[in-house]
Amino acid sequence: MGEVSEELKQKILEYLKTVSKAKNRDIARALNEDKHLVDKAIGELSKEGKIEYIFLGTSFVKIKE
Amino acid sequence: MESETPLLDELEKGRWPSFVKEIKRAAKKNKAALDLLRVEELSYKDKITHWKHGGIVGVTGYGGGVIGRYCDKPEEYPEVAAFHTFRVNHPAGWFYKTEALRKICDIWEKYGSGMTNFHGSTGDIILLGAKTENLQPCFNELTEAGFDLGGSGSGLRTISGCVGPARCEWATIDTLDITYDLTMEFQDEIHRPRWPYKFKIKISGCPNDCVAAIARADFTIIGTWRDSIRIDQEAVREYVKNGFDIETVVRKCPTEAISWDEKNKVLNFVPEDCTRCMHCINKMPKAIRPGTEGGATILVGGKAPILKGAYLSWVIVPFMKMEPPYSEVKSLLRKIWDWWDEHGRTRERLAELIERLSFARFLKDMGLPVQPQMVFRPRSNPYVFFRR
Ligand code: HEM
Ligand code: HEM
Ligand code: SF4
Ligand code: SF4
Repeated sequence: MGEVSEELKQKILEYLKTVSKAKNRDIARALNEDKHLVDKAIGELSKEGKIEYIFLGTSFVKIKE
Repeated sequence: MESETPLLDELEKGRWPSFVKEIKRAAKKNKAALDLLRVEELSYKDKITHWKHGGIVGVTGYGGGVIGRYCDKPEEYPEVAAFHTFRVNHPAGWFYKTEALRKICDIWEKYGSGMTNFHGSTGDIILLGAKTENLQPCFNELTEAGFDLGGSGSGLRTISGCVGPARCEWATIDTLDITYDLTMEFQDEIHRPRWPYKFKIKISGCPNDCVAAIARADFTIIGTWRDSIRIDQEAVREYVKNGFDIETVVRKCPTEAISWDEKNKVLNFVPEDCTRCMHCINKMPKAIRPGTEGGATILVGGKAPILKGAYLSWVIVPFMKMEPPYSEVKSLLRKIWDWWDEHGRTRERLAELIERLSFARFLKDMGLPVQPQMVFRPRSNPYVFFRR
């Protein structure tokens, strides 16, 4: 698996601005990116405090308010 | 003075120690505990819960480990308006120094209700009742003290294993090392949930299955051995000489692998019939021991959800060597997670997905050979009822 690029992280953030919440799997599909890489990128974004998680029956990510 | 909680007080009159008594004790020191009592009393009176699930709570970088709870009457019960739970990752085998326990308690008295649950059904240390603004500082101090949060939400739950070789002579695998190693390996899966639903891994050192891994884990690792049990005939004779009823053991061997030759005073044994159930070993520990070639049986699918009913997990790999760095088991886990994440519906546990798409399909996609040990849902109800 490759390294997470800043560009990918930016793409994910842009996408999250267009939805209220999303699952990693759906983000990967929407962006047509490798799921493992998206998982890794989302992990990094959460550690940077740029996204947060919500739990509504299942876990989603969203832009941190 | 008249009691504020007459309905709850009834619970203290039962035969077992009561949580009411414990919360009352905590209420002497902590206002949240007092409000908790009052809310519970109200629930008993109204016959309805006054808790709401959910809401957004968490600490930076983590999607699991804090379970949000809010009271639906915050004005009346301000001390429990927010009453969040921390799940703290327990050490493998639940071994602590008192020093560590004191540290946790000190932190928890500072930031939370002071009430705990050691250990929760997940295995974690459960710290019950923190206000939203205390979450981050409490987490920071726990981290400084060397503790991390456990799993919650749609992610990997804190991995649990029995005390294993630390205290138990039966362990055929190092449950403590496996628990620790997998926990370190799968930090992202524990802290940043992303799957359709929860996923549990539990590890027992032998078929006695002291952590009930078969009933409570989506992925079950149970220690076993590849060679045959070891019988010390001299020690068996010693048991019999001392009045031990050997027929009770022989009769209960599920596969009739053992029989007692009364004339020659020998315990006959057919190795290929033994299913390694531990029964004879538990009954005659001085005479019978597990084999020496240890490893584990891997099972999947245990669950007990409310809607679709309980499953026990079933075998997918009859025998796997379990040695660091545990690459085989890790790659199998990753394969299973990818498959489940790809095909699973929201809130669909692994067992339910396998049921929907078929076990044959699962085995094929995992690249696992079909084997006779693979009994699909060996027993679908883990609850055993005994008649008097
Ligand atoms: C009708 C109401 C509730 C239901 C049906 C319910 C159900 C459950 C279930 C099934 C679990 C186990 C989850 C797992 O490990 O997979 C759980 C865990 C837990 N619940 Fe609830 N719950 C309810 C209300 C509450 C309330 C009001 C609180 C606290 C104020 C609470 C606190 C907890 C805690 C702390 C755990 C974790 C315990 C552990 O892992 O050992 N629950 N709940
Ligand atoms: C109002 C109803 C219920 C409440 C409030 C409730 C609450 C809880 C709580 C708090 C726990 C964690 C216990 C602990 O700390 O050790 C738990 C565990 C559990 N509950 Fe319930 N429960 C309810 C109904 C049920 C039902 C109907 C089932 C199954 C049909 C069920 C199955 C389980 C199982 C299997 C666990 C253990 C999970 C594990 O070991 O990981 N619960 N429940
Ligand atoms: S499961 Fe086996 S090894 Fe683990 S504590 Fe129980 S008897 Fe010992
Ligand atoms: S371990 Fe179980 S199956 Fe094997 S001989 Fe003993 S009682 Fe029989």
